[in-house]
Amino acid sequence: MVIYLRSGGKLRERLKPDVDQYTRRVEVEGTPSLNEILADLGIPDGLVAFAFAEGTFRRLDYRPSEGEIVTLQPPVSGG
Amino acid sequence: MRIKVKKESCTGCRLCEQICTICRYDEINPRKAAIKIVPHFPQPGIFEPKLCVQCGVCAKECPVDAIHLEGEAYVIHEDECTNCGICVEACPIGVMFTHDAAPTPIKCDLCLKCTEVCNTGALIVVD
Amino acid sequence: MDGFGGTTLRINLSTEEIERTPTDPEFARSWMGARGFVSKILYDEVPRDADPLGVDNRFIISTGVMTGAFTPVGSKVGFGCISPATNGHADSSMGGHLGPELKYAGYDLIICEGIAAHPSYLYIDDDTVELRPAGDYWGMGSLELEERMKNDLGEDFQIATIGPSGENGIVFSCITHDFGRQAGRCGVGAVMGSKRLKAIAVRGTKSLPVHDLKSHWKLTYDIIQRTKTHPNMAPWQKYGTAFFVGWSNERGCFPTKNFQETYHKDWEKIDGERLVEDCLVSDKACFGCWMNCGKYTRARIPGKPDTYQEGPEYETIALVGGSCAFTDINHVAYANHLLDNIGMDTMSGGSTVAFAMECYQRGFITKDDLEGHELRWGNIDDFEHFVRMIAARRGIGDVFARGTKGAAEAIGQGTIKFASQAKGMEFSGYDTRWYPAQLLSYCTCDIGAHHSKSWTITTDIELGRDTIEGKAAVVIYLQHIRPLFDTWSCCRLFWGELDVTPEEHVETINYMTGWDITLDDCMQVSERVWNLNRAHFMERNGGPGRSHDGAPARHLEEPIPDGPAKGKVVGRENFEAMLDDYYANRGWDKDGNPTREILEELGIGYAADNLEKIGLLGKPIPGGIPKVRGKKLKPKAM
Repeated sequence: MVIYLRSGGKLRERLKPDVDQYTRRVEVEGTPSLNEILADLGIPDGLVAFAFAEGTFRRLDYRPSEGEIVTLQPPVSGG
Repeated sequence: MRIKVKKESCTGCRLCEQICTICRYDEINPRKAAIKIVPHFPQPGIFEPKLCVQCGVCAKECPVDAIHLEGEAYVIHEDECTNCGICVEACPIGVMFTHDAAPTPIKCDLCLKCTEVCNTGALIVVD
Repeated sequence: MDGFGGTTLRINLSTEEIERTPTDPEFARSWMGARGFVSKILYDEVPRDADPLGVDNRFIISTGVMTGAFTPVGSKVGFGCISPATNGHADSSMGGHLGPELKYAGYDLIICEGIAAHPSYLYIDDDTVELRPAGDYWGMGSLELEERMKNDLGEDFQIATIGPSGENGIVFSCITHDFGRQAGRCGVGAVMGSKRLKAIAVRGTKSLPVHDLKSHWKLTYDIIQRTKTHPNMAPWQKYGTAFFVGWSNERGCFPTKNFQETYHKDWEKIDGERLVEDCLVSDKACFGCWMNCGKYTRARIPGKPDTYQEGPEYETIALVGGSCAFTDINHVAYANHLLDNIGMDTMSGGSTVAFAMECYQRGFITKDDLEGHELRWGNIDDFEHFVRMIAARRGIGDVFARGTKGAAEAIGQGTIKFASQAKGMEFSGYDTRWYPAQLLSYCTCDIGAHHSKSWTITTDIELGRDTIEGKAAVVIYLQHIRPLFDTWSCCRLFWGELDVTPEEHVETINYMTGWDITLDDCMQVSERVWNLNRAHFMERNGGPGRSHDGAPARHLEEPIPDGPAKGKVVGRENFEAMLDDYYANRGWDKDGNPTREILEELGIGYAADNLEKIGLLGKPIPGGIPKVRGKKLKPKAM
């Protein structure tokens, strides 16, 4: 199936967007978790803090469904 | 067309006040804005945007008829206005503002720039 | 002067003389604002032996070139003084609305000297500047006083206050504004209190002069439209910083039980999801910010009154929530309110209580020291009682009023090993034992340990957490670019998170001021400030410079006992090697002393003369100093 991952900031350089300036189309087999998808894309563990889909926080064990658009939130220093 | 205010969405950033005075006076001076964000803190902890609803009471009360309906907005004509302040007193919801350096009272003329910068849905254009 | 308020105020609190002078354009161009202004004035004016809480220290309130502009995001105001925590240069900034208000009143800089005879507050209503009696306000909590003064003066006034903590000289006292924005660090609230200045109230109704308004606002208007649809905007707006708790915990850098551990097993009870689900009242933004990371919340604890506060944000959750081992977000939010109102920095305040909790755990302090109370991990009643002991300096509270370093020195018995601080200021909310660049960042930071000047957790991840190679140069780059935002006096978040470039910030500064400057020029200002602060610190505290850059023993030699970072520790050898690398990359000698060559290149040769007089000028470096100091991170595996 196909999902769409979006991000900006430094993470964008890792994500290599191909749909628009923020979005990468990713084909996956089965229903992998975001962690597994990120590992396949070679994005090192720790460079995504959490995900955001349909206006809601998602942990990285979240399994996106067909066609879902998922934003990856890079970690930052808080406060 | 009017601006709908959704006060529960306002975060008090006052970007609307800034853009208002930039477009109205070519100045950065939130105190001269035709919109005012009133904070209610520490409780209940919300912001209240105060903005003209174009009810026209000001135009009716103006002793020199300096406020004219143009399209859907009541607009103060600077060359006719004597800055007497009667409209400010008459405004039923307290959204006509004054500033010492402004030649007339300050009211919204529906330029809609504030709705273009608002990023929270607190100011929305509706028909 | 375009881009600036135009006026500098100098207030002698002892004599109540108020002098106004036009802000010097050359000074403004060389130092740009807040952190930069503060650095130069403190260096020039404060006698090297001045007591930070005494008559000769300065208390400076400063805006910067971007404050009050239509830009991402000119909400900030800086406070400066010699810090009672570090005995060095202090600058601490906050958002909210006070900075823009000051600028609209026409002021760039307010330099307070002396000490008021009676409790006072500074009243500014455009051109009217008065010291007014604050006897009725003395003793009030910061948040209570802001509400009272808004009632007394009107909603139009922007108010900044200190609490009892600042009045009593607790070295980690903060300044509070807008019901939850703080200039938290370095003890700026204690210095304000030492001046008997309880509050600042400002109303400004003037227009900000801008050189090319049309270009200025169009640039920002376009940035607004562009960032509105940026993918990372919506998560920021909804969750703010509190959502990084889980990530930090999983990375093994979440301070837990005073940095004994770095993984809090109950993190899900105190993370951002709980905060938003259980406590959120409203989203709250600083002036001119369309990203609204502030979360205004209500804490509910049975048997206690509900409290309303902004936050807790990440740092507070880490250093109060994790480090004191709380397991209920309501307790963290309540503690946040307690510290805000009493006037303590939640970061150093949380850390100091956590340090005391470890002292209690290990038997270095007992119930007898605590007026019969206990000081148990995660207990909100114990936390509250102890915070009140510190604020009032009752009993052993007086010892902890000096912060973790001061308390450890007083208690002795090796407790300094587990005081996570650098130069007397407590670490931010990231453990460093698997993050060597972060340890280097804290220990070399010019104001004491603070992530705002260099945050490298992701740098450590990118370059490898078990290596030190190449990290010093990245730390230096960050120590220039990140504090640049404190000098410009604007928020950093649009840069890192929403792809607004520093070049765009420079462009907007040029439109505002009519200057023709580049990012490189600005980076040089930032490096100038860093080196001047270094020289100033050494002139006040002796040398060699290296002797001030030490790391707490826990982070050098105590492996993390459990969790994702189990077994990790930086090690002394690695740390010293990083320091060597850092000094070489800075153009300082091996003792960590700045050289004449670097100071002269940065236009502060007078600091070289002063260091030379006290025998602390760095020895010339064979082959000269590096041409460029600091390197931007280039990820390895890309």
